Amino acid sequence: MMDKSIKELHELLINNKVSSDDLVKEALAKSHTLQEKCNAFVTILDDAKGVSVNDNLLSGIPYGIKDNYSTKGILTTGSSNTLKDYVPFFTATAVKNLEKCGAVPVNKTALDEFGMGGTGTTCHTGNVLNPWNQKRMCGGSSSGSACAVSAGVYPYALGSDTGDSIRKPAAYCGIVGYKPTYGMISRYGLFPFASSLDHCGVLTRRVEDAAIVVDAMKGKDKKDLTSFDSSNIHLLDSLDGNVSGKKLFYIKEIVDFANYPNIDDTLKKHLDNYFKTLDNLKSLGVTIDSVSIDKTLLQAIPSVYVCLSCAEATSNMSNLTGIIFGPRGKGDNVMEIIKDHRTKGFSTLIKRRFVIGSYILQKENQEKYFVNAQRVRRLIVDKMKELFKEYDGLILPVGTGPAPYIDGSVDHVNNSDTSILEEHLQIGNFGGFPSITIPNGFVDNLPVGINITGNCYDDANILNIAYALEGTMNYKGQIAKEGTNE
Amino acid sequence: MRKFTKEMVDSYADKLLIGLTEEENKLVLDEFDIIDKNMELITKIPNISEVPPMTHTLDDFTYELREDEYEESINIDDALANSDSTEGRQIKVPNVVEVSKK
Repeated sequence: MMDKSIKELHELLINNKVSSDDLVKEALAKSHTLQEKCNAFVTILDDAKGVSVNDNLLSGIPYGIKDNYSTKGILTTGSSNTLKDYVPFFTATAVKNLEKCGAVPVNKTALDEFGMGGTGTTCHTGNVLNPWNQKRMCGGSSSGSACAVSAGVYPYALGSDTGDSIRKPAAYCGIVGYKPTYGMISRYGLFPFASSLDHCGVLTRRVEDAAIVVDAMKGKDKKDLTSFDSSNIHLLDSLDGNVSGKKLFYIKEIVDFANYPNIDDTLKKHLDNYFKTLDNLKSLGVTIDSVSIDKTLLQAIPSVYVCLSCAEATSNMSNLTGIIFGPRGKGDNVMEIIKDHRTKGFSTLIKRRFVIGSYILQKENQEKYFVNAQRVRRLIVDKMKELFKEYDGLILPVGTGPAPYIDGSVDHVNNSDTSILEEHLQIGNFGGFPSITIPNGFVDNLPVGINITGNCYDDANILNIAYALEGTMNYKGQIAKEGTNE
Repeated sequence: MRKFTKEMVDSYADKLLIGLTEEENKLVLDEFDIIDKNMELITKIPNISEVPPMTHTLDDFTYELREDEYEESINIDDALANSDSTEGRQIKVPNVVEVSKK
């Protein structure tokens, strides 16, 4: 049953062909099977029960929650040893909104520690493995959510996205990942990583399901002053697949073959596949232009992200002391206790980010790095907004190909020619732009993704273009099949 | 010559009350020159100092003051439940004010 869409499941539920309890049992059984194979979860909620079904499309249907969303009475760790036993006494607004619809959470999914990673290899519960090929990563940080949706545990799971943490794992797992405009979904109860870049969102197997879920999650929240009233935005109702006359662009400094004189076979196939898919959109009446952007500006994107995210994270994580919550450290005084807690609790890779953040925030570096990064952020966002006056959206391939191998995949600093191609989704976080990844077929027998990003508040338009493109391909609703690729 | 030293890396970590093992220090130190070089890219944008820093994600963001409303505050027992050391209605820590030794 869990391979079906939300609408299909709803139809079955209201016609009493299946009960909510049946669906929950199936999702729990699949959770345990997947846990054995891919280690996707921090907690499986074995006590979850079905609910009585109402007219709401989400009622009675199981789903997963990334373990950085606070859930009252349910272990919420952020996949960190610093919070390994933490049980919140309140629930994140986004989860509460789904609760009101009658949605049934069945597990908490593993993530890169506090969302600070892109591999799924820094979770305190161990590596999350890709259901298409267990030697490969799911990407991150919404690793467990992508893994579970791709494996068919349920039709959707919640994610969060600070750099590309929904949209990259979605690509690596062959599913849909959507982060709406910044502030459309309240961040109250989401563990903060870099507050000016953090977005809530969802991973699904269909664009339509992403629209249904975000319609339910969104809304102004007095507990998040950056949330806005989106009651005039109706995502599901806006999906008609009519995109004739729409205009998209790509950035030639990112995707032109000329940028990669020593291109490897995988990247060549990835870019070929991407350009082939653009033809699908053109056949629907969409115009797609090649646009040039100053390469110096583009090359600064990963650095701007590193500066802002590490600096903001340094501040956000200062409440992790082990005093009020988290395992108490050892020491003769409060400072020693806190240091012991943080030294033992944080993984190596998150410590690296903190050290970078600390360096950036040294008095002598603040103007040079932190404030200048904020300035470059504005230049990048202004350039995109200028283009969005003429175009409906930006369309680019996700990353440099399919999911990398887990072995030897330490979250290294990327210093290669392909760093902009690998990191360009961060533009969506800089501007708070709505951004959606959908499956775009296979390279080396593994899934790859394509991404569409548009202007703030234009979510319905962006989703509709993704919906139309999805309809031209055969990957809608696909479930991971273990591949033969080694 | 390297711009960064083991001691500098330890000092940046220590300011955040984080200790690094020898291996962790080496991991950061080995990459720090590249990280720093990459961040230098930011300063190479022409006339960058004239651009106003972007501090909010949405440029039409406005603060809204809302009415003061009475709400139930957090239940003390709930708030204490996640702490490993409590006493009565309080979280217990060692003396913060050091007692002078005479």
